[in-house]
Amino acid sequence: MAALEIAEPEKLDDAYTMLGTEEGSIRPMGGGTALMLMMKAQLFKPSKLVSLRKIEALTGFSLSVDASHIRIGAMTTFSELEQSPMIAQHLPVVTQTMKTLANVRVRNVATVGGNLAHGDPHLDLPPVWSALGASVRIVGVDGERVVPAEELFLGYYETVLAQGELIADISVPVRPGWRFFYAKVTTRAEHDWPALGLCVGVRAEGEVIADVSLVLSAAVDKPTRLKSAEAALRGVALSDAALAMAADAALAEVHIEGDGRGSAAYKQQLLRVHLGRAIKHVMQGSASA
Amino acid sequence: MSAITPPPFASRSLPRLEAREKVTGRIEYTHHLKLPGMLHGKIFRSTMPHAKIKSIDTTAAAALPGVYQVVTIDDIRKVIPNPYYGPAFHDQPILADGKVRFAGEPVAVVLAFDKKIAEEAAGLITAEYEELPAVFDEIEAMTAKVLVHDELKPAATFADLKYLKGKKGTNIALDYQLRRGDTEAAFARAEHVFEHTFRSQQVMHVPMEPFVSVADWQDGHLTLHTASQGPSFVRIEIARLLGLPENKVRVKVPYLGGGFGGKLYIKLEALVTALSMVAERPVKISLTMDEQFFMVTRHPCHFTIKSGLDASGKIIARHCEVIWNGGAYADIGPRVTQKAGFTSAGPYDIDNVTINSYAVYTNRPPCGALRGFGAPQTAWAYECHTDMIADALKMDRVEFRRKNMLREGRPQASGTPLRDAEIERAMDHVLDRMNWSAPFDRGSGNIKRGRGIGIGFKGITSPTTSVAIVNLNADGSCALYIGTVDMGQGSDTVMAQIAAQVLNLDPASIKVIHPDTDVTPYDMGTLGSRSTFHMGNAVRIAAEDAKQKIEVLARELGLPQGANLPLVDMMKQKYGMQAGNIIGTGTYLADYEKPDAQGQTTKGTPFWGVGAAGAEVEIDIETGAIKVTKLVNVADVGVALNPKAVQQQLSGAGIMQLGFTLTENMVFRDGQLTNGSLADYKIPTLLDMPKSFINEHVPNAYDAHGPFGAKGGGESTTIALSPAIGNAVADALGIRIYDLPITPEAIFRAMQEAKGAPLEEDA
Repeated sequence: MAALEIAEPEKLDDAYTMLGTEEGSIRPMGGGTALMLMMKAQLFKPSKLVSLRKIEALTGFSLSVDASHIRIGAMTTFSELEQSPMIAQHLPVVTQTMKTLANVRVRNVATVGGNLAHGDPHLDLPPVWSALGASVRIVGVDGERVVPAEELFLGYYETVLAQGELIADISVPVRPGWRFFYAKVTTRAEHDWPALGLCVGVRAEGEVIADVSLVLSAAVDKPTRLKSAEAALRGVALSDAALAMAADAALAEVHIEGDGRGSAAYKQQLLRVHLGRAIKHVMQGSASA
Repeated sequence: MSAITPPPFASRSLPRLEAREKVTGRIEYTHHLKLPGMLHGKIFRSTMPHAKIKSIDTTAAAALPGVYQVVTIDDIRKVIPNPYYGPAFHDQPILADGKVRFAGEPVAVVLAFDKKIAEEAAGLITAEYEELPAVFDEIEAMTAKVLVHDELKPAATFADLKYLKGKKGTNIALDYQLRRGDTEAAFARAEHVFEHTFRSQQVMHVPMEPFVSVADWQDGHLTLHTASQGPSFVRIEIARLLGLPENKVRVKVPYLGGGFGGKLYIKLEALVTALSMVAERPVKISLTMDEQFFMVTRHPCHFTIKSGLDASGKIIARHCEVIWNGGAYADIGPRVTQKAGFTSAGPYDIDNVTINSYAVYTNRPPCGALRGFGAPQTAWAYECHTDMIADALKMDRVEFRRKNMLREGRPQASGTPLRDAEIERAMDHVLDRMNWSAPFDRGSGNIKRGRGIGIGFKGITSPTTSVAIVNLNADGSCALYIGTVDMGQGSDTVMAQIAAQVLNLDPASIKVIHPDTDVTPYDMGTLGSRSTFHMGNAVRIAAEDAKQKIEVLARELGLPQGANLPLVDMMKQKYGMQAGNIIGTGTYLADYEKPDAQGQTTKGTPFWGVGAAGAEVEIDIETGAIKVTKLVNVADVGVALNPKAVQQQLSGAGIMQLGFTLTENMVFRDGQLTNGSLADYKIPTLLDMPKSFINEHVPNAYDAHGPFGAKGGGESTTIALSPAIGNAVADALGIRIYDLPITPEAIFRAMQEAKGAPLEEDA
């Protein structure tokens, strides 16, 4: 790893100036956990990193006055969310996801914004934010725009963010009556990158799945909403037949690639099994619901 | 002598002597070493598995500010004219010599005072190759036209390899043979014949301290500081390479952060030596975790085992065809091939045995010794095979083992009789801890449960020598000079205990002097479970020698018997002041007889390593996900001199083998390693530990030849663990897995195959 410059601006405007708008070797840095790995592997050789840790506008998280949504600053660390009683109360699936996300040292520095901007489809939180219906506020020298979390990703390590644009914060709706669960399916060791990440949310009315939100990650090139599977389940009473139909629909609508964590055919089987199990799990209202 | 805590000092769970220094981060490792004017080397590696090197362009690297020099084999030849090394074959060039034989092979080295600059410059080197056809699979390599080496170059060190000298046109580096009885005739009269083939994958040692060596060449003599398990061998081999007497080569070894057989023989030592000679400065190379995959690994193994049984279920014939994928350079593979070949028929009493064991070159990273010298790969085959035969004959799996088990005094396949080897008691101890006779829950819903056992044994590398020096200072304090490397196993503590036992000292008061070939005497190496037995005996003999010299001194001084005058007073009387030393020396060479052409010998091993294992597994039949819910490891270590250290050795070996069984696998595509980092090569973590994990030694065992009844136990629990799990999976599902590792996908595929609905493979 060669020597490089690290800047720590305190104002957004200074950060924009430092980053510029030309694609190149200057990159913003949140916690740096992913960047450092890429730099150690010599996959990425920055000339300058712009650390965002001193920019106050990107920090903090709070529940809105009407309790309808939670704003989470991009530089919020995972540990801050993990240890927050407010998050545990309103977004229990986030607290649940933290338990198997990397390790405590990573969680202490990794940030919500950096994690999204990295665009790695194997990360645990992007599918969770997508399933929850979060929106992402993007700021830049030309002003700001808001995109749904699930539309942030274009493909493998690709996002809609342009050079010089930063994620300022995300807004996560609090959804009374819904229960969410994130299934992290590892195949090589208990602690591993997921072969399959699946965030499942339901609004149940008795045995009926009144509404449902399904987002798949890791086995696909970006967090992907399983729209056909959702349609197959919406308004349907929970049954093995319904789950089988949803799994068929899911398998038909996504392209799963094989890799070191499993062949394509095996991951399809994992999706079939874990989709059904996750939905049953949230319908029963147990654990992190 | 000073005040005494009551004996026995051996056979106590004494805390490790170095524990405080280790946990407070103050212990000495080679990684910490900095010498004045020292350069750091960074290796540029081959991207081709088999190719001629057309050119190496080092200009951009050499031009980078801060780069001292870029070195290729041409520079090395100027200081070492014949730059080939290896313990069994002199087949490995210090840097690639006109040709590369595996992807990842060192081709050039950048030297710089700043490690980061060296790293950056290495990224600027380019090489042009003419690609050659390559061979990766051991079976193909047996008969392939593609040759990894044009000619075999056995090292002269081992007499039994001489017949291979100058052999051409083959990838078979060594063919070990054992013949006992008349196997063909026995198969002809057998009532039942079974034949199965099992495979083990390529895995790596993953020591937490990666390889690191520093060479300092000055005025015709060399000092090496290195994380090595075998300083004496390093000295011999480097002295040979340089044409120097052994006293011009000094090898110093502090503590090691794990070795597991990887840090044996020559690893980085030849390279840093050559670099230091070229640059005329001290040179250090420390590998990254990821580079370790290209240093040395464990042999993939392809084992076809065939057994003939009589009507009563007695095994009367066994044929073992074992093929070891040794990678591009032989390293100690030929020894693995022999040692593991030797016991590949398993711990059973079989009159007619044929064993062929082949070390084969391929275009993969080299393979060497790894915790068990091949025994775990062979036991994977013979213990799965055992269950399969028992099931086919509808015999109880335990009783079938008892019926055929090799017992005390009976000759093993080599003709060496079994001695002080508690195979049956190890198995019984496992059965007891498994509650084998109690009803067993077979699971419900999508969970199926099963359980299995395995037993195994290994021979110990022989003949080998250990030498120890016990030095009593004039004040009675004691220092122990030994070449055994404490790499985490606790050897310092145990050796101090042995000396303390003889000399009636407090073991914690003994100073253990670490390997320094200018100071400490010869030891063959810290390997193959040999230290407690061989060095332990040498230490015992040295301590007894010192004790005898004290008695002689007492007589000389006219002291009455039993006077027990402190040593300091005796020395004052003798020398007129506090002066002088009592030096005790001990050399231990185990009894050994070279096998004949049929592989027969009555003294093939100094002792037997014995391990037994039991596993309970839970399998999710919808995904193949497997959980080992209970794991029992039992080893016969003779008398456990330090029961706590023994237990840690047994559990450590168990965890390691658990990884080799379930998760670890070096995956190659066209000769390129695709998962060469710990993010993708998964060693087990705490989360993968079985909920119930029991590691114990056979109580009241005793090895008559070991120091105070002890023998080694560093490898014993690696041997039978994989088949115990494989047998548990078969017990749960009725489906046999033949290839390691046993991954969820492998299980799911096998289940689909059995259903006649095989899962599609990736294109």
